[in-house]
Amino acid sequence: MSRFTLSPPSLGRRQLLKLGLGASAASLLPLSSVFANTLSTKARIVILGGGAAGMSMANRLARRLSGATITVVEPRELHHYQPGWTLVASGVWEAERTLQPNAKFRPAGIEWVQGQAAGIDAGQRRITLADSSTLDYDVLVVATGLQLNYQLIDGMSPDLIGSNGIGSVYASLDAARRTRDAIDAWLAEGGGKGIFTSPQTAIKCAGAPIKMTFTTLSRIKAEGVRDHFNLDYFTGGGGMFSQPWINDFLKQRFDRENITRHHSQYLSAIDAGAKQAQFTSKDGSTEVRDYDFIHVVPPMSAPDFVKDSDLIAQSGAFQGEWLDTDIHTLQHNRYPEVFGIGDVIGAPINKTAASVKAQAPVVEANILAYLQEKPLPARHNGYTSCPLITDIGKAMLVEFGYDNNMEFLPSFSFIDPKEESWSAWVLKDYLLQPAYYAMLEGRV
Amino acid sequence: MTFSLAGIFSVLSNAIQPFLVLILTILAVLVAVQFTARIRSYRTKAHQYMPAMIVALLVGASSVWWLPLLTHSQLAFVTTAIDWLALIAAALGVALLVWLVLHPLSYLIRGPR
Ligand SMILES: Cc1cc2nc3c(=O)[nH]c(=O)nc-3n(C[C@H](O)[C@H](O)[C@H](O)COP(=O)(O)OP(=O)(O)OC[C@H]3O[C@@H](n4cnc5c(N)ncnc54)[C@H](O)[C@@H]3O)c2cc1C
Repeated sequence: MSRFTLSPPSLGRRQLLKLGLGASAASLLPLSSVFANTLSTKARIVILGGGAAGMSMANRLARRLSGATITVVEPRELHHYQPGWTLVASGVWEAERTLQPNAKFRPAGIEWVQGQAAGIDAGQRRITLADSSTLDYDVLVVATGLQLNYQLIDGMSPDLIGSNGIGSVYASLDAARRTRDAIDAWLAEGGGKGIFTSPQTAIKCAGAPIKMTFTTLSRIKAEGVRDHFNLDYFTGGGGMFSQPWINDFLKQRFDRENITRHHSQYLSAIDAGAKQAQFTSKDGSTEVRDYDFIHVVPPMSAPDFVKDSDLIAQSGAFQGEWLDTDIHTLQHNRYPEVFGIGDVIGAPINKTAASVKAQAPVVEANILAYLQEKPLPARHNGYTSCPLITDIGKAMLVEFGYDNNMEFLPSFSFIDPKEESWSAWVLKDYLLQPAYYAMLEGRV
Repeated sequence: MTFSLAGIFSVLSNAIQPFLVLILTILAVLVAVQFTARIRSYRTKAHQYMPAMIVALLVGASSVWWLPLLTHSQLAFVTTAIDWLALIAAALGVALLVWLVLHPLSYLIRGPR
């Protein structure tokens, strides 16, 4: 028998209709979410990470559970809107626009541990924190995001970003700012060789390396000196993008713009002093290239402490690198009390904030079902979205999922994912950030 | 993607926050001019002043060029039907706003016509 009981809805349909909200609410929402029940439970829920995914889950679970102990473990005080970093590095946004205090989004009634998780004992259902204290859980939500493995590129360190012609938008907000400065300095030189890279692993926002290439190209063209700059794009993968139509589009666009594509070659070493980069091919052969500017995208994986735990995938494509979750229910494949969300999970695509937006209601519904010992009702279709900036001022709103060969899943029927448009740019520039903050509050 | 009412409110309030001062200033000017003119017997249909209409149309038409610039973009990137629809709607809004300020203002400055 379940240890948990459902309490009646706090605001009934009749009350809503009385308030005149019923009709309008019903036209916007599935009824289940309007008249959502709260679940009474004594469960101890630990959420590791208070970023996009962790904060969304904290808000959602705080609203749906009464009596539960919800603990979020997160070291940062400030929330970073990472999707804005490409705009910072491209000189479009001021850095401050991407920062908000975490306190602004934190729900009442949860425990916020400002610290770092250092270990997970999945068998004992126990988290060890960096200060050696421990937290026991009945349900664990792993939302730690991913780890940037700059150390796997010989000679590379995040400290180098901003000097010696090295940029890398991923490392931090400060790195995005220093990347902008490095690009400014390179443009001021009036010409030279630019290399843009993408690694051999899955990465968050797979469109970001491409966006950085296009926004830099846009700035070069605006200066009217395109002929003075050589641009090369090296990707560790065989293609440019996981969505087949967009992949073909990008190949054609790169060729049209005279950006030389190099596939299945990843950045393996860098000599910052000599401004040389080494690329390794699948067959192990290497090639050294000179550059004046290089945009480095490091290999990525789940954080080390997750990799060191039994929660990491033991076999298959994500073995040893990513959290072992069912890609549809987002429940751990071996530990049913563990759920994964966000960048940390092993999934063919999906390392975007847009995916978090789609995953959060699935994890919420499935945790509630798990607590009631019911079958998990919700499935994630792999929805992800990339506002693919193709020039400073225009973009494509590419939304797709992993079902049906990465089929397009447009949210707005009037925006064609195959078209570059000003509207998609305006969405990226002005509306996606507010939608992201609504997601953190668990309201999308 | 579905939004709750609170979600829509949350997105909109976050979206307008950076422009709040600008929006409130424009609204304050609009309300102040309309209110002052109306207590001095200004009636929209009764007052005739063509230059207010011409300036409003010129500002509206020019906004087709400068609205994309305000969004870090350019008119050349306004290409799809939705782009044009959004831009024309915004330009009409700008023209209407300018007229709603200039028309009563002309009444206040030049008197009834
Ligand atoms: C340059 C760039 C551009 C992007 N562009 C887009 C875009 O256009 N569209 C889009 O949808 N997405 C984009 N993304 C991706 C998006 O930001 C991420 O997919 C999203 O933030 C993932 O959410 P998350 O919660 O899994 O990870 P995060 O948001 O990174 O949060 C993880 C949290 O876990 C915490 N944490 C880490 N280790 C520990 C630990 N040991 N203990 C406790 N807490 C820990 C961290 O402090 C962090 O707050 C972009 C990302 C970058 C970097």
